[in-house]
Amino acid sequence: MSSLKRHEGYLFVDHRASPGLPEDIARKSGYDPKHCGEGALFEAATLTCSHCGCSFVKNPLRTRERAYCQKCDHYICDGCDIQRHKAEYIHLPYKALSEVRLAEVLGSPQELLNSPIILK
Amino acid sequence: MAKRSFQAATWTPTATGDNTAMANTTYMAIESGASTQGLNVIEIYIGGQATASSVNIMQFARTTTVGTTPTALAAPNGDGPLNGLTQALPTVAVTYVAASTGPLRSTSTTAARLNLSLNVFGGIVRWVAAPGEEWGIIGTTSGLSGSTLSAFTGGSVGLIGAHIVYEPL
Repeated sequence: MSSLKRHEGYLFVDHRASPGLPEDIARKSGYDPKHCGEGALFEAATLTCSHCGCSFVKNPLRTRERAYCQKCDHYICDGCDIQRHKAEYIHLPYKALSEVRLAEVLGSPQELLNSPIILK
Repeated sequence: MAKRSFQAATWTPTATGDNTAMANTTYMAIESGASTQGLNVIEIYIGGQATASSVNIMQFARTTTVGTTPTALAAPNGDGPLNGLTQALPTVAVTYVAASTGPLRSTSTTAARLNLSLNVFGGIVRWVAAPGEEWGIIGTTSGLSGSTLSAFTGGSVGLIGAHIVYEPL
């Protein structure tokens, strides 16, 4: 069984050679102020929501359940989690939405419009 | 398709609120080149170049209204494939730092944005997406077809250099 860690991106904020961020700005930006001050290094995993495509910093200290979509086998953001629990919700992940949008324009799947690859 | 790097060598953002047209050379904008094109943003890097302490509240955010009549990139800024053998694209992505009217950052609370604040007196920020988890830009639908790297309101704002690695689909 593969781990959901495979979906994690990486955020690197290096203030090792810098005065760093003041505490209020660091908090506003979603960083831990301790790791964004002078001489500090902040590294964090990021997650991408499979429903809206947004990326966000994973909070390793979170005690609430992390929103997870079983249909996508993927973490989703809190905003999409709220939407998901509405009665009228229709499951439409970002990749499917992309394909729908492109199909509306193209009228045909992209694979059928591409030139065939001829192997010599 | 091949991965490309859109880079601006040295520029100073201006702290600009959401839903406000950005001034020229204070942002990096990337947009889908056609209704049938998609782009995946893989990496964003910002390196501070200021000579005094300056806080930049940098954000990579979706665009509600794309820029009108974008100006072609001029050296030292550029946009090119990471692999020199890459063939010319049938449709190129629209990457620019100036336009007749600049793009507007989305004010929607449900629109994605990456918050990449840093002190640009020696600070560095790098965000990398895992494979399959890239930031998506698609078609010409408002709110999905473009994104900008720019400074949000606040901070003292100083000189930076940045690149955005992306892959046209």
